[in-house]
Amino acid sequence: MLLPFSYAVRNLYRDRTRLLQTLGGSALVVFLVMGAHALNEGMRRTLNASGSPHNMLIIGKGSEESVQRSEVSERAAGIAEASLSGIYAPLGERAVSPQIVHMADLALPDGRRLRGLVRGVNPKALLTHPEVAVIDGRFPGPGELMVGRLAWKRFGVDAADLAPGTTLNLDTATLTVSGTFAAPGTVLESELWMDLNDLRTLAQRETISAVVVRLDTGDPADVQLFTRQRLDLELSAVNEKDYYARLAAFYAPVRAMTWTTAALIAAAAVFGGFNTLYAAFASRVREIATLQAIGFRRVAIVVSFIQESLMTSLLGALLGAITAVLVLADRVVYLSAGAFRLGFGPETLFAGLITGAALGLIGAIPPAIRCLKPNLPQALRD
Amino acid sequence: MNNPDNILIHCQGVTKQYRKGDNLVTPLEALDLTIPRGDFLAMMGPSGSGKTTLLNLLSGIDQPTSGSIEVDGVKVHALSRRDLAAWRARNVGYIFQLYHLVPVLTAFENVELPLLLDDMSRRERREKVEAVLSLVGLSDRMHHFPRELSGGQEQRVAIARALVADPPLLVADEPTGDLDRHAADAVLGLLKTLAREQGKTIVMVTHDPKAAEAATRILHLEKGKLLETAP
Repeated sequence: MLLPFSYAVRNLYRDRTRLLQTLGGSALVVFLVMGAHALNEGMRRTLNASGSPHNMLIIGKGSEESVQRSEVSERAAGIAEASLSGIYAPLGERAVSPQIVHMADLALPDGRRLRGLVRGVNPKALLTHPEVAVIDGRFPGPGELMVGRLAWKRFGVDAADLAPGTTLNLDTATLTVSGTFAAPGTVLESELWMDLNDLRTLAQRETISAVVVRLDTGDPADVQLFTRQRLDLELSAVNEKDYYARLAAFYAPVRAMTWTTAALIAAAAVFGGFNTLYAAFASRVREIATLQAIGFRRVAIVVSFIQESLMTSLLGALLGAITAVLVLADRVVYLSAGAFRLGFGPETLFAGLITGAALGLIGAIPPAIRCLKPNLPQALRD
Repeated sequence: MNNPDNILIHCQGVTKQYRKGDNLVTPLEALDLTIPRGDFLAMMGPSGSGKTTLLNLLSGIDQPTSGSIEVDGVKVHALSRRDLAAWRARNVGYIFQLYHLVPVLTAFENVELPLLLDDMSRRERREKVEAVLSLVGLSDRMHHFPRELSGGQEQRVAIARALVADPPLLVADEPTGDLDRHAADAVLGLLKTLAREQGKTIVMVTHDPKAAEAATRILHLEKGKLLETAP
């Protein structure tokens, strides 16, 4: 037979300092676990959404891991467009987009420096990336650039600094922001898009970075065959989805580091919890012995301890979860691949609550066993 | 000679030993004891004479190293820890010197604890708790927490808790040791009434000769041996 639940509840208030310590420890761990989960989830979702399975990236041989390092002859776009069949072609316009991807140093008119990814494109980029929608202003022409709607966060400036009509300096050129675009859930949203020819000149390149081909009825294997046949162009073809999946794998150490940090702090919290709960239970050795003398079995006492510990840790978990949602939801994290909005979802909350429950359970059992160890006569005299 | 049907506790050759560092301590040695039902027995003796050890053995809190203890026909010395817990719940009520009430529970809830081990409705439990708190004169304090009660009142709550499951045996370890004379007299009067009117068998350890006077029989222990039995 179990002890009354009210016993476990009222024990929580015996020592408010201990209660606050345990609540704080649990809240911190749950906050970190949810943060790590949300970062990983956000990164996964963004990188998953960033590549389309219909798009093939034609890039320089040996640069399959990074479009930024890739060099492709300008002729490749025209040759690919002419050679490949089954290309997506709305209103007869074939979706083949030559692009330059360049990490650039820019400056605001007041001198503040910005470093970020600039993509040189022509209007065909909108055919290969139908998820991109110009939400303010227009597509950039010569002397202009268009900003992703998260770019201002990426650069740590005010949205007004990158609003249409403002200017940015790239080397010797002054570029006017022509518009803002959205590409929901993708890394493109933190990029700056500008005219392909302008970027080629400013970046002093004679090549482009990649040709993006959007297939309709075409077979990706045909694109790969094309790149293998045109040995003169030294090309390679990668499905855009696979490219971003590889990018996600590249960030595995970052993800592992966030989990490791959370796990280390959780381990510290568990040991802190052991101490706190051991002190809490140890101060009740005689009372516990009295309950056993009355006839309550040890298991009933352990269950009561676990109830008490679980209530504290789950309450802490709730506080941690609320804080995580208030502080971290909608946060954008920046890595070189782009901006990731932290991915909060039911599974993040679940991860937090499971962590809280595990802390409560793991934290209670060793101190409970230790406090039940003294034999009954000795404990009654304690 | 006592009628065997009237015997509640029968101990034969009870020895208790335990290790303390390198030494083997023998607080009780080859002790024989018979306690009839309804007896109010006081055990006296100097510190370390084995009084509390014997009390713990009689009440199933501890087990002997050798010998047998039979209470109401049950061989207590042979019970497993689990069976012993169940046996204690039904057969023994404890009264401690420092009351040992659970501080986060009210007087009512403290007294209710032993009843939670029985399959009993909430209403039945309430009736029993109210009745026993009325018996110890604390009807008006049942929703008070231990910290809101005097020492004498706390001990009366502890007696109510010991009584509520209606066990045949009450064991009391220095029940008046922490009380003033007036409160101690009230507690001893209550124990006498329980033995006399409810037929409870009471085994009480005390240092206080005046407390022992309340008992119907006094045992003296010294160095683990029963030296004297006084009427």
